[in-house]
Amino acid sequence: MAQAVASPESMSPAEGGRGAFKLRWTDIFIVLGVILLIVGAGGMAQRLTQGLAPTNLTSYVPWGLWVGFYDYLVWLEVGSLLTFTALFYLVGMTVLKPVKPVVLFTGFTVVLMALIIVLLDLGHPERFWHVLLYPDFGSMITWMVWLHLAYLIVLALELGLTLFGNERTEGLMKWLSYLSLPMGLALIIVSGSIFGVIATRPLWNTASLPLMFLISSLAAGSGLLTLLVVLFWPDKQDEQYRQIVQRLARLTSVLLAGGVFAAGVIGFTMLYQGSGSPVRAEGINLILSGPFAWSFWIVHILLGVIVPLVLMISMPRRPLMVGIAAFLSTVTFVAVTLNVVIPVLVTPELEGLSTAFVDPKLDVNYVPNMMEWMTLSFIFGLGSLFYGLGLRFLPLQSRHQEVNHD
Amino acid sequence: MTSKDTVKPASEVTRRNFLKGLMGGAGAAAAVAAFEALADNPTVLLAQDNNSVANYPAQALSSAGEGGPVDVLERMRAELRRALQKPSAERRWVMVIDLRKCVGCHACTISCVAENKLPPGVVYRPVIEEEWGTYPNVGRRFVPRPCMQCENPPCVPVCPVGATYTNEEGIVEMNYERCIGCRYCITACPYSARVTDFGFTYTQDMPEAEGLILGQAQADDYERAANFEYGKSYPREGRNSPVGNARKCHFCQHRILEGALPACVTTCIGRATLFGDANDPDSLVAKMIARPNVMRLREELGTEPRVYYLV
Repeated sequence: MAQAVASPESMSPAEGGRGAFKLRWTDIFIVLGVILLIVGAGGMAQRLTQGLAPTNLTSYVPWGLWVGFYDYLVWLEVGSLLTFTALFYLVGMTVLKPVKPVVLFTGFTVVLMALIIVLLDLGHPERFWHVLLYPDFGSMITWMVWLHLAYLIVLALELGLTLFGNERTEGLMKWLSYLSLPMGLALIIVSGSIFGVIATRPLWNTASLPLMFLISSLAAGSGLLTLLVVLFWPDKQDEQYRQIVQRLARLTSVLLAGGVFAAGVIGFTMLYQGSGSPVRAEGINLILSGPFAWSFWIVHILLGVIVPLVLMISMPRRPLMVGIAAFLSTVTFVAVTLNVVIPVLVTPELEGLSTAFVDPKLDVNYVPNMMEWMTLSFIFGLGSLFYGLGLRFLPLQSRHQEVNHD
Repeated sequence: MTSKDTVKPASEVTRRNFLKGLMGGAGAAAAVAAFEALADNPTVLLAQDNNSVANYPAQALSSAGEGGPVDVLERMRAELRRALQKPSAERRWVMVIDLRKCVGCHACTISCVAENKLPPGVVYRPVIEEEWGTYPNVGRRFVPRPCMQCENPPCVPVCPVGATYTNEEGIVEMNYERCIGCRYCITACPYSARVTDFGFTYTQDMPEAEGLILGQAQADDYERAANFEYGKSYPREGRNSPVGNARKCHFCQHRILEGALPACVTTCIGRATLFGDANDPDSLVAKMIARPNVMRLREELGTEPRVYYLV
């Protein structure tokens, strides 16, 4: 491998010597992380001292904001890594090599955030190890936890080999990447199956839900990959860069459009009430025209699908526009997971139950409160700080500059 | 059914023959005798509850005297004791709720809260009130909703740690110590019969003003005291289980094992809630669930609830 032509920007502080500490644009993640940590500290303190009591979760709406964000992060992490690994190893798009470390590190960070969120959503987080010690493999959550932890290990190994490996470890790296493909697929399918197997919730209980999770995950992950390429590609003047961005924009567009098409077909089928389930139709209607319909129409459809598609299709060779489109698509996908989780649960299973014994925690209405958002802010702060520190102190960008200058 | 063979000696004063004595023809003399016996041994009433199951009368007693009508509670108690003589795997507890008799008094709900020392936000047996129709053709119905103790419980296989399971008598139990609080079982229950214990207490915002009011420290002694679910002792301390766990009705299993009916059955003023061993062909519940006017909630899901409704 050629010697790095290390620019001051790419050097770690140690490499740059004393007094050469310069701010990089990636330090914005550190700053953002600190801000989010400060903003969210109160929520996290409440969570740690009072458990789930201060949340707006109830016994009838047991999952809410945090589970929605957990699924969103799983979609991002697995989707981006599946897309990258498939393109890199299966399609042979090895030109993506310069962003490989940062893609893996992003996925690793997102996995950690997802696991922290789901840990805090437990009534007894200190007992998480019970899933390892007393697993019941008839439960989708058991599979999810095991797969997630295994995925984390594989990802950590991949990241370690990418950052600190050499030519001799290339083979192992390749096999780990191949291994991550079925693991990632399984993780996404299991995440969807957690909802899909619940017979009593008609909107979830469809065979198509796990597949929709996969399509959505690939669309969201492809958007994230595109964004990472736009953000971290070493030589933005390179024609190859524009070509890669164009190809990724095309892929993301196809996945986005395909996902919306598939969801539309399923949705229309469910809405048909001639022989369908009224409860299922009620759930769909709640998403389409309920009090939070704006999150579906404006956040997801307009900002997450239409605007990105217009930008990516009309200006595929303008990385800035593609980057904005990818950012919008990636960020707004959370509206989808929240709309998967919450509307189903706020649809009562037995009419009249919430007025049979009145208590704030026996209510079918749910809107996440400030404490839940603050706790989420704290976790995103942790993730952002970790990410920013990684970008500064790990050879994530300098390594790809070496490669690029080979 | 008579009590001929099972009446206890006069010296063995029980709550039942104490009350019977008060109400009966020889009320005064019996009452005096009973009070004397109680004065000698004030724990005698409690001691009755601690008798072993084997000593319970196997036949129902009539409060109106020998040969009189038998209260269904007495009949069910006798049947319960009979069932307890069998190996546990041969019992199949079921509950039958006669919706025509339920008056919506919520006594069952409250007795359940008291029996299991349920904190705020936790309820095992709410009573749903339904109204339908258009005036003047309207109807009103009260539907108590305990845990259905399904034969195919959707809540059991989804638990990632096996913290909920069906015991050999058919009651779906919780292992509080193992439960991680993921609440997957709550989403899976078609009857919303599981709830989360968020850790609240009724007295948590009460002030302390010693000598002026019964402040928090004293007032919450009651709710801090242990409940006895699943035959164990769960004092309410900090964030210990069952705080943070999923909780549910268990047919007052701890009472059943001591020969007592579930609290909701005992307190039902209309005798609308029946309980017993469906494997006993002579039991009241076995006869009731064979009636044509019996139904179960959401049968289309195939959960096979063990709670039946008479309509």
